[in-house]
Amino acid sequence: MVSKKVDLSVKIKDFKLKNPIITASGTYGYNNEFDAFCDVKKLGAVVTKGITVEARAGNDGDRIFETTGGMINRIGLENVGIQTFIEEKLPVLQKCGIDFILNVAGSTPENYIELAKIAQENNFKAIELNVSCPNVKCGCIEYGVNKQALYELVLMVRKHFDNCLIVKLSPNVTSPEEMATAAQSAGADAVSAINTVRGMGIKLDFVNGEFRKTSVAGGLSGKTIKPVALSFVDRISKVIDIPIIGMGGIYTLNDVFEFFSVGAKAVQIGTANFTHPDIAEKLVDDLEKFMIENNFKTIDELQKKLMEA
Amino acid sequence: MKKNHIGTIKNIKEINKTVYSVEFSSPTLKNITPGEYVSILCEDLTLRRPFSVADFENGTVKVLIKKRGKGTQYLSNLKVGDKIEFSAPLGNTFKLENKKTLLIGAGIGVAPLFYLNKKLKEIGVETYFAAGFLTKDDILGDFDFVSTDDGSKGEKGSICDFLKLLIAGVKPQKIVCCAPHPVLKIIATEAAKKGIECEVCMEKIMACGIGVCRGCVIQIEKDGKIENATVCKDGPVFNGKEVVW
Repeated sequence: MVSKKVDLSVKIKDFKLKNPIITASGTYGYNNEFDAFCDVKKLGAVVTKGITVEARAGNDGDRIFETTGGMINRIGLENVGIQTFIEEKLPVLQKCGIDFILNVAGSTPENYIELAKIAQENNFKAIELNVSCPNVKCGCIEYGVNKQALYELVLMVRKHFDNCLIVKLSPNVTSPEEMATAAQSAGADAVSAINTVRGMGIKLDFVNGEFRKTSVAGGLSGKTIKPVALSFVDRISKVIDIPIIGMGGIYTLNDVFEFFSVGAKAVQIGTANFTHPDIAEKLVDDLEKFMIENNFKTIDELQKKLMEA
Repeated sequence: MKKNHIGTIKNIKEINKTVYSVEFSSPTLKNITPGEYVSILCEDLTLRRPFSVADFENGTVKVLIKKRGKGTQYLSNLKVGDKIEFSAPLGNTFKLENKKTLLIGAGIGVAPLFYLNKKLKEIGVETYFAAGFLTKDDILGDFDFVSTDDGSKGEKGSICDFLKLLIAGVKPQKIVCCAPHPVLKIIATEAAKKGIECEVCMEKIMACGIGVCRGCVIQIEKDGKIENATVCKDGPVFNGKEVVW
């Protein structure tokens, strides 16, 4: 269903995406793993699993807990590390023609600098900073919940990376406006929001007069966080001018439109990929169909209309 | 071949108080090898529910579902003709080898062993199928050997209590088992001690089903190196000797 009449592309700095449907970090692997369900190269972009300098084994114990309308994860950033990513995962992305955004994470400023330099050397079009990691050198305060720490981190990464720099904002803050402003002032080209919401799942069994408890504390995602995400995007869009990539509980085209209506320029699909592994491609098709049927020629035009609604 | 399918329920029957047999087919699902599993979308639940395949014949998948929570409740209430959405085939497979095989299942863990047993017999492999259940009401089919915890049918005790006797009597070249984690550990450890090849079929809560989210990892040891393996993609079948118990 390719039509010359509609242009689904969006531009974030110099990074041109075929369409505004992106898959979120941690839910889509490193490259074409979802090809068994989806035509991955049709997507606007794939955000890679969070990459650190060295490979990480992740957390011990239970990592997943399903909640009403969502799930909690505490994977602990298990990943292959940047070198293996470049040697083994990148060639597949290139061969398949998949546009990607490298999600980077670290526990020290030096980690982020090293990753930014490698991304620059390889001329990656875009990176997304995962700032929901504790800074082990600075009292283990998460970069993403301290505006000064966030500002300094983004400023530093900016010095080493010229292409599109996206900062993924944490919702676990008192003032979304201050965090978004800090990212923009430090030179971010875009922000993505929201990362997972801190949460805890508890399962209790009462056996032979004793309670047995299992609990998983981590990041909550899925349909259940959409209202939190919409409010966050709505608030930050009033104070920053750089593009916002909205995410949090998107399952339908209508959800995408809700995020556009509060100021998002593109969206990421996360947990929905687990429920419906073919959903990202379907959303691209649905969006194109809607635009053709309703005479929208560009995403800009559609977004303007939604923001006026 | 894409792995998302829309299936139609062909047959559903209550086997006992908590276990249902559900059969469904989809024109887009061509084949399933023993060990591989299906993951079924359950109404508005976030995560699909993975089920071992108990049989696959003429395009029809059979799974055994034990009512535990909302997902299995939903599935047990389906009617013939209802549509379901599911992913398949997922995961790896048992090795189909010409070795005298002792199959050991506990509870609902017998499910994937039914299909494996059938395929092994088709290629002429000698098998012996042993299974353990809580009571006679929980027994899920016919076996060469049965034990129940309360002794209401077969031998009295856990299947683990009869492990040494089974190995001595059957003299298997290979053991394949599917059971709760502690039972698998006991069987794999005993098999290793006796130098018998052992495949274990494992279970863990899964999110993606294709190895990307890393939510269902276990540790395995290969060439002296410990690494993570996903139950959903690298498994569910593992070499019992490699699993870090």
